[in-house]
Amino acid sequence: MSNVLRPYLAAVRSTLTAALTLEDFSSQVVERHNKPEVEVAVSKEVLLNPLTISRNENERVLIEPSVNSVRISIKIKQADEIERILCHKFTRFMMQRAESFIVLRRKPVKGYDISFLITNNHTDTMLKHKIVDFIIQFMEEVDKEISEMKLSLNARARVVAESYLSAFNV
Amino acid sequence: MILLEPHNYIIHTTLAEKAVKPSSLDVQFVDFDGVRFRLSTPDRKTALVLSMNIRCWDELVRYGVHDILKREYGPLLKAEPENEYNVSLEIDLEQLPPDGEQRDAFFKSLALLKRNALAAPFELGFHAQKQLEAAGSGQGDLMALHYRDEEVIYVQASSDRVTVIFSTMFREETDRVFGKVFLQEFVDARRLPTIQSAPQVLYTTREPPLEIRHLPGLHDSDDVGYVTFVLFPRHFANSIVANTTITHIQLFRDYLHYHIKCSKAYMHSRMRHRVSEFQKVLNRAKTEQATVERKTVTGRSMTLR
Amino acid sequence: MSLLAPIICDNGTGFSKVGFAGNSDPSFVFPTAIATRGPASQASRGPSVPSKPGHLASKRGVEDLDFFIGDEALANAQTPGYGINYPIRHGQIENWDYMERYWEQTIFKYLRAEPEDHYFLLTEPPLNPPENREQTAEIFFESFNIKGLYIAVQAVLALAASWSSNRVTDRTLTGTVIDSGDGVTHVIPCAEGYVIGSAIKHIPIAGRDITQFVLNLMRERGEMANVPPEDQLKVAGKVKEQYSYVCQDIVKEFRKYDQEPYKYFARYEGEHTVTGRKYEIDVGYERFLAPEIFFNPEINSSEFLTPLPEIVDGVIQQSPIDVRRGLYKNIVLSGGSTMFQHFGQRLKRDLKQIVDRRLEVNAQASGSQLRSSGVEVEVISHKRQRYAVWFGGSLMASLPEFYSFCHTKAQYDEIGPSICRRYQIFGSAT
Repeated sequence: MSNVLRPYLAAVRSTLTAALTLEDFSSQVVERHNKPEVEVAVSKEVLLNPLTISRNENERVLIEPSVNSVRISIKIKQADEIERILCHKFTRFMMQRAESFIVLRRKPVKGYDISFLITNNHTDTMLKHKIVDFIIQFMEEVDKEISEMKLSLNARARVVAESYLSAFNV
Repeated sequence: MILLEPHNYIIHTTLAEKAVKPSSLDVQFVDFDGVRFRLSTPDRKTALVLSMNIRCWDELVRYGVHDILKREYGPLLKAEPENEYNVSLEIDLEQLPPDGEQRDAFFKSLALLKRNALAAPFELGFHAQKQLEAAGSGQGDLMALHYRDEEVIYVQASSDRVTVIFSTMFREETDRVFGKVFLQEFVDARRLPTIQSAPQVLYTTREPPLEIRHLPGLHDSDDVGYVTFVLFPRHFANSIVANTTITHIQLFRDYLHYHIKCSKAYMHSRMRHRVSEFQKVLNRAKTEQATVERKTVTGRSMTLR
Repeated sequence: MSLLAPIICDNGTGFSKVGFAGNSDPSFVFPTAIATRGPASQASRGPSVPSKPGHLASKRGVEDLDFFIGDEALANAQTPGYGINYPIRHGQIENWDYMERYWEQTIFKYLRAEPEDHYFLLTEPPLNPPENREQTAEIFFESFNIKGLYIAVQAVLALAASWSSNRVTDRTLTGTVIDSGDGVTHVIPCAEGYVIGSAIKHIPIAGRDITQFVLNLMRERGEMANVPPEDQLKVAGKVKEQYSYVCQDIVKEFRKYDQEPYKYFARYEGEHTVTGRKYEIDVGYERFLAPEIFFNPEINSSEFLTPLPEIVDGVIQQSPIDVRRGLYKNIVLSGGSTMFQHFGQRLKRDLKQIVDRRLEVNAQASGSQLRSSGVEVEVISHKRQRYAVWFGGSLMASLPEFYSFCHTKAQYDEIGPSICRRYQIFGSAT
């Protein structure tokens, strides 16, 4: 992890750990329903203040806590057109497999690239600090992966162009 | 496989197979750029007819495709092409060259039918350049080849070069971005000392190059790009070199798209790997749960297959 | 632009059949194998974890293009540095990385088609999880940008293929499919184009087992003594394909052979692949015993003992009662291991006996006041049986309405891979 990234991730980590104090909470509106309050957003009193941690205008995290669920949305760094398309491809690929990721939302919150939804069920069955670890590791690696993908695309393009043109050599 | 092969695999294998064991046959298949083929035995088992349909046939005729095909295939050429097709060759399996290399070369040349037909404008261009060089100056005719729905090859000769322009069209956002990266590398790659002698490549998006700017009906959108290859006389100095150049440049578009698709496939496998890594991290968060063996009423245990 | 013929891809466990719609045979039939740099994957159970594309790859960037598929893969399996992999196991795709590259080379090297210009028809085994469909769609629409996609169940295509037989008068998609390839045999009931999943049965006897059985028989008789060990399996395979047939009565057949051995024993001539030495072997009882293991499995092994006709009967009896007549009436054969002569007749006879016996018992139990009008049993065998699934696909895809059944690229972009969870079933064309 580069040093410049560390304070940003540390901030996300501590905010997230603090936000993940969830309890079972039945819906106040519909009887015998139990829904993530942050998603239904009908009872204002159980929602906490959302918080944005932003590293710069292109990289930020939105954490929306509530009594029984937390929604984390991440905006991933996209420097240019290539990174934008790769990021889009990657997040879509991952969200396509949301089933196996349990805490992943199938659609990102508007304005962000990828969203996670952690409910009290998740914190009950899983270790809280490990879930936080997962989010942090995801943030760390997704940047790395996208820049690696970009590098490899450029490298491929170079090889491809060279092998095509060198075939003209006589 | 980095480079695409110029010959059609199906023609080659089918002919080789039928030469050994003739049987009646009627198959239709395709090649890149919407070329359709039909291989059939209308009369008897040993007389194969190979027909081809190219969408830009009329243009090819104007650029002298008949002469080239006559030169390459001579007596095989049927006077009347099959219905719906542009050109037909008749191959008598009883009069094949002797087994071995010679026969293989013969099949290979048949498998290059599409390549030979598309060679017409290039050969004409090379020829025109020679004449213009002798004359000292001037411009040859601009030859357009509408080889795909939205994409065109332009060939123009001038006194010291032949310019080949491909208009490219990307229907998909990802392809457009990837294509841009690839094409930029084509332009840059020539700086390498090893491939100095390759043709010069220029690439523009949206803006058509000077040679074709006057043409009507050019698309004007961000999806369109123009790739210009500048072929110098050394690329067609003699017939062997000229032939490899033609073979190679024809496949440019297919080559580009093939590699864009391969990169996407590669990206997919990277993503699969990365996603499974993330999965592992998340699984670490799961607490151990004692798995109870569940039984059905009849006493059979339920397991996931 | 005139539409180019759709591409039919039938990727099976052992072999892939690919070609263009409208043709009667696939253009290519080659093993579903891919030879890549690096060691062959172990034959482990369960889905394989995708391997890291490797840091080497970023060094030059195109190492992942260094691979062979099909026959070339087998030829290169011995080359140092290459390992061979089979991306499909038990009919289902296990390794998507390999499969994606397998398709890539199929399209660009062998078919030489620009996927953007074509519609594709792919096949899937019955009970394929919908997630697999989504992954397939993801590859074809995103990597290859194909125009449109249709994914059909193999059994349904096999039913459609039987329409080419002149014995079929009404084109229905109700019937029982017996699909026997190299690895496994399935008996699959279909009702109006939908597979009745709960009634499917698998039989662990297929082409490979028959070949092994022939080999054992010939070894026991001592015929194989002349054959070099490395060729023995191949010879057994040839004998199976060229000389075998299904007899109607095994005891009579034995007697016939013993009385007139010269009339019935065949002679197989082979040549050593390396030295060119010629050898001859006698082909005897295995001619009718080989396919007999479908009908009397006890002659081969004691692990699986239910004869094929009984299984077929069981499958149909497990299906909903209102389609059973249709299932008995239209039993369709598909795959290379159903190609034996008289296979269909024998199956029909045995099955008819089972059915009639049950009707008889029922009639007696009911006090024999009411008699059933009888159940029609018909087994369809036809010329296209070997590649029936592919041929069925070819038939379907050459119908003009095929295009309206496909999901197009535009629809995919709009809705996403989940669109491929559902496909419209081909209405039985009239």
